[in-house]
Amino acid sequence: MNVVRMSGVTKRYGQVTALDGVSMELAENRIHGLLGRNGAGKTTVMQILTGQAFETSGGVEVFGEHPYENAGVLGRICFIKESQRYPDFFKVKHALRAAELLYPHWDAGFAAELVADFALPADRNIRKLSRGMLSAVGVIIGLASRAPLTFFDEPYLGLDAVARQLFYDRLLADYAEHPRTVVLSTHLIDEVSDLIEHVVLIDKGRILIDEDAEALRTRAVTVTGPVASVESFVAGRTVLHREQLGGFLRVTVSGVPDRPSVGGLEFEAVSLQQLVVRTTQMNGLHNGQPVAAGTGNGGNR
Amino acid sequence: MNRVLDVARVQAVNWRGIVAWPLGILAFTLVINVAIFGAIGDAAPPEGRVTGALSSIYIVMFVAHLQTITQVFPFALGLSVTRRAFFAGTALVVVAQALFFGLVLLLLEWVERTTGGWGVGVRYFGLPFLIQENPLTQWLVYVVPFLAVSAIGVFMGVVFKRWGQAGMYVLTMTAGVLAAGFAIVVTWQRSWPSVGSFFTGQSTFALLAGYPLVIALVLGGVGWFTIRRATP
Repeated sequence: MNVVRMSGVTKRYGQVTALDGVSMELAENRIHGLLGRNGAGKTTVMQILTGQAFETSGGVEVFGEHPYENAGVLGRICFIKESQRYPDFFKVKHALRAAELLYPHWDAGFAAELVADFALPADRNIRKLSRGMLSAVGVIIGLASRAPLTFFDEPYLGLDAVARQLFYDRLLADYAEHPRTVVLSTHLIDEVSDLIEHVVLIDKGRILIDEDAEALRTRAVTVTGPVASVESFVAGRTVLHREQLGGFLRVTVSGVPDRPSVGGLEFEAVSLQQLVVRTTQMNGLHNGQPVAAGTGNGGNR
Repeated sequence: MNRVLDVARVQAVNWRGIVAWPLGILAFTLVINVAIFGAIGDAAPPEGRVTGALSSIYIVMFVAHLQTITQVFPFALGLSVTRRAFFAGTALVVVAQALFFGLVLLLLEWVERTTGGWGVGVRYFGLPFLIQENPLTQWLVYVVPFLAVSAIGVFMGVVFKRWGQAGMYVLTMTAGVLAAGFAIVVTWQRSWPSVGSFFTGQSTFALLAGYPLVIALVLGGVGWFTIRRATP
């Protein structure tokens, strides 16, 4: 069953087209990774799905209905964003208490555990929290609310590596016990690649990849070898990236179901992060903007 | 309706902010004023022992509800509250606060009268133009201005959330232009006497409870429709 359905959704802010005909579906009880560069349109997608922003055109369905001002739909959604505002006069405990009042499946015991795990001072004023602590508040609300559809929009800002791992571990463990649909938007793709089951890659307001993570992992391969052999192997395939060093060529191609045992060629798996970066760069090329060091476009290499 | 109550409870999560803080400011200004009038002794004649510091609690309410929209609204929307439920919950909180604070003021006005102006003959609550004949209208005279200032705060917050800084500029400039235009037209028509007689012709109850209620209802209604397209 699909929890989310977007069909041909376009969003314009004045002259800027933030989303350009986005269509996608998100299946129930899975962890979806919503990936893409800054400004790709990830947050806009989540804002529209939570009724916080309004699509210019296209169809939006969440739990089968349009989410805008729809109490029945919104009551089942939790949206934790990096820029979430908390009232200045709230303490940490007030924010958690507010979430408890609003989410029927809230688990106060779990929340208290998480507060201890993240060493969060419950009595401290929200204004006086460090960036990492502020992110922890969001993470705790997102996890303990147990909302059937939970969005995390770059929830880790300022969290150190240990705290981030804690978040991933707790998310996975709680997800196993209480299955729900999670949408995780992140730049730290390597960190979450084991976590996400379905990948949506968005760039310049368009969907580039919408596929199972498992299928994606086997989709692309990097092949290295003498120029001539590699060239003949990759002929006719989609080349995502190539680099040459003397007589050796290293090419990342997609659409190789199994690795043929061609003599002199070495095959390596492509990490999800590599695949995302290369695919995004390819999209830049198609848009007439060459990807090369120094253009600024390849800055996420 | 349930959701509206939830929103009201979320706003009351930090009850100090919406009850204790305004009353604290009120107590603080009261003590200061009593101390001042005690200190200056007979230097101020009995009819001059009047203070306008009561307005402090109304200003606190205005600011508090401006913040309700600029700060609590984005938070509540993040927690999947609908705009309608948020607005209705806010209205509920405002009305409850106004009724309660009105009652407190009514009580303190009685205390002020029975203690001879806190022992120093000062009129802090029982301002001459505020005094009504019966407790009910007296209560309303205290309550309704709370509704009006809160509605103005909420409305300004909603305009800011929907149209940003530009919206605030347009709002304040429009208000300024309307006020100036009114003054120009009245001066040009030499109608100031009739403006004055309009106000003196109205009962204080109408001026303090009637027209403010109209302001609260109109701004509340416009705000209800404006917030529906506001983004956090």
